[in-house]
Amino acid sequence: MGNLIWHEYARYVALSATVYTIWASFWGFYFRKFFFDFVKGTLRNPGGVQPANSDTIFVDIIVKAPVIQILSMLLGFVYLALDYPAPFLKNTAIHRSFPIRIVLLLLQTFFAILYYQGTNGALYSFIAACCYIRAQMRGEYMQEAKDNKGRGGKA
Amino acid sequence: MGANWFQREFLQPRRLVFNVLFYGVQLFLFGSNLHALQETNKKLSALNGLKWSVWTSRGAGLVLAFDGGMILVPMLRNIIRVVRPRLTWLFPADENIWFHRQVAYSMAFWAMVHTTAHYVNFFNVELTQVRPELAIDIHYHQAGGITGHFMLLIMLLMYTTAHHKIRHQCFEAFWYTHHLAFFFMIGLYTHATGCFVRDSADPDYIPTFPFYSTQHCLGYESWRFTIWPGIIYFGERVWREIRARRATRLSKVLVHPSGAMELRIIKPSFKYVAGQWLFIQVPEISGLQWHPFTITSAPEDPYVSVHIRQVGDWTYALGERVGAGPQVVAAMTKEAMKGMEKDDSIYGTRGNFVEIDSSNRPLPAVRIDGPYGAPAEDVFNVEVAVLIGAGIGVTPFASILKHIWYRQKRGTLGSLKRVEFFWVCRDAPSFGWFQTLLQEVEAAQADPNFLRINIYLTQKVSEDMLWNIAVNDAGAEYDPLTLLRTRTMFGRPDWKSIYSRISQAIQTGQYLPGANSQLKTRVGTYFCGPGVLAKAIKEACQAANTSQIEFAFAKEHF
Repeated sequence: MGNLIWHEYARYVALSATVYTIWASFWGFYFRKFFFDFVKGTLRNPGGVQPANSDTIFVDIIVKAPVIQILSMLLGFVYLALDYPAPFLKNTAIHRSFPIRIVLLLLQTFFAILYYQGTNGALYSFIAACCYIRAQMRGEYMQEAKDNKGRGGKA
Repeated sequence: MGANWFQREFLQPRRLVFNVLFYGVQLFLFGSNLHALQETNKKLSALNGLKWSVWTSRGAGLVLAFDGGMILVPMLRNIIRVVRPRLTWLFPADENIWFHRQVAYSMAFWAMVHTTAHYVNFFNVELTQVRPELAIDIHYHQAGGITGHFMLLIMLLMYTTAHHKIRHQCFEAFWYTHHLAFFFMIGLYTHATGCFVRDSADPDYIPTFPFYSTQHCLGYESWRFTIWPGIIYFGERVWREIRARRATRLSKVLVHPSGAMELRIIKPSFKYVAGQWLFIQVPEISGLQWHPFTITSAPEDPYVSVHIRQVGDWTYALGERVGAGPQVVAAMTKEAMKGMEKDDSIYGTRGNFVEIDSSNRPLPAVRIDGPYGAPAEDVFNVEVAVLIGAGIGVTPFASILKHIWYRQKRGTLGSLKRVEFFWVCRDAPSFGWFQTLLQEVEAAQADPNFLRINIYLTQKVSEDMLWNIAVNDAGAEYDPLTLLRTRTMFGRPDWKSIYSRISQAIQTGQYLPGANSQLKTRVGTYFCGPGVLAKAIKEACQAANTSQIEFAFAKEHF
């Protein structure tokens, strides 16, 4: 499609997805819920869905202690630092690597889909990862930033 | 930007009023909801059991309804075009895209608030079982949840592709993605059909429109209001389609040596004034895309012309289709470079345009939609018009200058006595076609004092270029860069001194012969270009005001 430079587009999606995920994980600290608890779970009134016994591990790391949420949030900040980018990562090989981004985004998808608030963040992260994969497949690469020459077209 | 955030947002009266009104309304809607909920407390007591999260989500929902209604208003192009000249004093209607963006930003913010609150709501609904539902069911099995999540996804796609970088890179991506707005609006209007806000445990659906009973479903019914801009917008799109289908013919394609194509289109039903723009569609290249271009012909011309530079996908394809592809242009440039003294400029060449031979392959069908944008008729109400075009912002002045020239020939200039035209750009040669036009206009001037062209080149001058100018410029009749009689000036113009010179010249009576008898001389500045420059010019303008000479400034978005 056109002259779309996929990795530049993917960056906007990825940043949106990551900010969303960080926000979601923050709320995940307070309203802890395993997203897939409805599978074989039993509904109690009141009390909501009680996850099935086979889900104990998820209950441990999401409801009893928000481990996944914390990991998700940390990963989100790491990703922001990488893709925004943080000043110390600018013009480094890590910052120009798409595979690192793809792996981090897929990892973020995995974390985010586990807790209740993370579904959209997971979906968006996955879309962003797909965009980066497409950029990688098209052989795009990130150019080193040029020196500040001002913006074109302005008199 | 020179001014900081506070100065920009609060110290300009117009912006301050806008901010107070726009954000004030939103905050008021958000706050008023708390009050309203307490009044209907009895009916919604079950919901109010969820406390602040339900208040927040409902408040944000009301603001979102407001934003959803407003988002399409600045896009009603035809209505704005009609309304604008009457309301210039009230609001800068040319800023419609800017307003569209402000609404979109607000929408993103309130969508965040609304969604966050709902995640808490549904969590607590499931936990307390005030309604016998699962959170996941509310999210993904009920109208409110489904449309909400769908709208969020559409917003993600629309906002990211609308970023100016992406929009410039690939207009198609922006164009097509933005049409997801159709589904977004459908989602918005049907968001409440799930009857989430109710006083009964189960939604009270009825078999007739709107398919839920308003007795028990106590939503805002905001769709009754927000749907109108949507309907009007849809009607406008239909009307634009009908209008675009009226007889249109591409009569000529001219290629200017700088690579710009000039399309001359004949459409009798198309009426416009100088300084407006249009959308153009070439069904053979793309049956869905409309591309905006400034009209470069004057209303007096028997045709409508646009100048198109081959820079993007679509414009390349158009060049190929009409037989003015990059190779043709390159060959032409090469041809012209061999000799021809007049073209002995440092950038290669310009010279005359070439008409594309369409005898073996007929020209493609085109459709145009418009006109849109600000008319520049005010030019004829002032004595002195200062026209300033910066960079690409110079294009509307092609039409305006031509129009002035026609009126000059007919002797219907109104009160306009003199025109000062300023062109500030980084590299003039990329607008070769405009220079050709300026040459024509300059050559046609009978009165040497009526139109003065001032060209400022702001790019850095290399050593080679310096030598070229020094050698070629001395004693030559034409400027070596622009081939105009007017000399090109280098560096940024000093607006303060320019205006004070104009002001002095008027006061001493040299500038406008016979103007002394007048009480007041009006000098109108019409600017098109980037905002930073606009500010500098505006300040210079205001500083030059005296009791006898009134300097006015207008930034046009054309």
